[in-house]
Amino acid sequence: MDENKLIEEIALAIIDGDGPIAANNVQAALESGMDPLRILNEGLMTSAAEVGKRFDQGEYFLPELMLTGRALKAAMDVLKPSLTRIYSNDASQARGKIVIATIQTDIHDLGKSLVASMLMAGGFDVTDLGVDVPIKSIIDKAEEAQANVIALSCLLTTSMPYMKDLIEMLKARGLRKKYIVIVGGASVTQAWASSIGADGTAGNAVDAVKLIHALLNAA
Amino acid sequence: MHNYLEILDRANDGVYISEENWDLEKIAATARRLVKKYHLEWDRNQVVSVDPVLADAIFQAGFEMAVEVGAYCRSTERIIAFRQEELEEGLRTTPQSLLMGAGKDIRSLYARHLDDERPPLFFGGTPGTPIPERFFLANVISNVQEPLIDLATCGTLTEVDGRAVRTGSPMEIVATRRELEYMHAALARVGRPGMGMLAAQSSVSELGDLGAAQERYLRPCDSHLVPILNELKMDNRNISRAVNSLEYGMINASLPCVIVGGLGGGPAGSAVVNVASFIIANVACLADYHILHPIHVRHVATSTRDVLWVISAVGQAFARNAPSIIVADIYPKSGAGTKELLYEVAANAIVNAVSANHLEGCGSADGNAPNCSGLEARFMAEVGLASHKMKMTLTEANEWVLKLLPHYEAVFTKEGGNPGLPFDQVYDLQHVQPLDFWQKMYEEVKTDLMSEGLKL
Repeated sequence: MDENKLIEEIALAIIDGDGPIAANNVQAALESGMDPLRILNEGLMTSAAEVGKRFDQGEYFLPELMLTGRALKAAMDVLKPSLTRIYSNDASQARGKIVIATIQTDIHDLGKSLVASMLMAGGFDVTDLGVDVPIKSIIDKAEEAQANVIALSCLLTTSMPYMKDLIEMLKARGLRKKYIVIVGGASVTQAWASSIGADGTAGNAVDAVKLIHALLNAA
Repeated sequence: MHNYLEILDRANDGVYISEENWDLEKIAATARRLVKKYHLEWDRNQVVSVDPVLADAIFQAGFEMAVEVGAYCRSTERIIAFRQEELEEGLRTTPQSLLMGAGKDIRSLYARHLDDERPPLFFGGTPGTPIPERFFLANVISNVQEPLIDLATCGTLTEVDGRAVRTGSPMEIVATRRELEYMHAALARVGRPGMGMLAAQSSVSELGDLGAAQERYLRPCDSHLVPILNELKMDNRNISRAVNSLEYGMINASLPCVIVGGLGGGPAGSAVVNVASFIIANVACLADYHILHPIHVRHVATSTRDVLWVISAVGQAFARNAPSIIVADIYPKSGAGTKELLYEVAANAIVNAVSANHLEGCGSADGNAPNCSGLEARFMAEVGLASHKMKMTLTEANEWVLKLLPHYEAVFTKEGGNPGLPFDQVYDLQHVQPLDFWQKMYEEVKTDLMSEGLKL
């Protein structure tokens, strides 16, 4: 199969959310000697961006995003060693490592999963800690993963104070400057995000990705 | 199922599945397959479906999904399975009428039928919206003083005596009890002390719910929420709410907020998931009635075309196949002090009135800010009753909604939404009456709708 055809097949598998086929095609592309960065940019990232666009336009829904996230992960598992070996700097490191969670006492999953899927589709290295995650665990995991972004989700107004508590805990542990902290969720406003000292907030998953890009570029 | 505690056994002993696999392999895949199998489609220009075959197919698909997947317990990561005959029994025995409230203020909340001769009932209040304590009482009064409002609900207290309320903390008990004190005070103030309530809205975890199950707070003639998490999930906290009602006897309102554009996919799949959720809730939540509150994946509001379609489709599906008591939440995008809010409320009220649902509202400004007032609850009831009295057909309702949409649809793409103003900037708090500009907007929109033929 020629290179263009292989790239096309990889992109199609990502759009279809088919992890095994995406991984197999990435393996085949690597074995044929294709540049890993080309596989990443033209095979994975372009198609993931297409899925994000279709979601934003209401053509795709959450399952498509989640399946694409899964397929990307499967493909990246195959691609990462080559990228690291050749460029000594994998693409996700260049884009940022993100720890994401729905804050302590809030069990709403969908908004957070949506943002996590979009971030994965955007090529970030994302550790999704799930929902109702104690603030101490979020900070410990961020330290362990050597993340540079902590993304917090919250739907419940009465769980929002725990976001403030996390930022205060970062300060108390002398870690605040180490992390970009973004907050989001239906009840979170820009004014509230500013009042607790967060670095930013976004109204939807697409804007969250743009926000993280902007904050990382400015850092 | 004759012993509710068997739910706990099943939650402990059921088949293990990870939450991600539940979401994708059980919910998303099943919804997608059933949409194809039953050829379910929605049309953005047919916001109120007039196709009985479609309504029946959505019900059948939802029932099939409920039997096939059951529910998921997040606390134990197990599937709570139900036998088909248990779900059928749940549908057969679901209450056809419920007495809510007491004395002269008592109301019979009933399972509506399409073309029902009886009018829908109206819950007035701002369900789940964060409301500051300083005007919580006035906000409740603004709703329950409205003569057309039959039943009461309210927002959530996020601060009590200046202290932030954190979910699961002791302050949640304090907040829920304080909320109920304000509710009773408001009902007494307007001379309707026996009005039935859907309350304990400040109880986000089970703590407040447990703390309020006393006659002086939430009476057995009132109702509380037993939520189903997205999608078709329970956890020990929500099961505790149902258990809390066992001996005490509160009325259970199930609340699955199905995400339209979420795991169920588009509107058709979301309608299927919503039907399945209600069928499961009869048994898993011990539901006496159901709150219909689909949420748009990007816009939240219930007034988008696709969410209105889901609301109507689910209402019709149950009315035709298994009449149940369904109360639809009205959550407009716009907030108080805007004309768009009133047009959104009108669209919601018409769709629900003709689709066999009762109405509850309004969670204006997406229920995110205290930008809500009793005036839009009045308008909800007026439009709902007018639709009923005019014997509006499904076809006519669709024509009405298509006329209303251009008045507000732009708010969904407006930067920052259309939040309007907080309650204290649209109402005179001393007399609990709308300020002149807000009253004038209401009258102008009302006049506009009357000129179009709505008999308000």
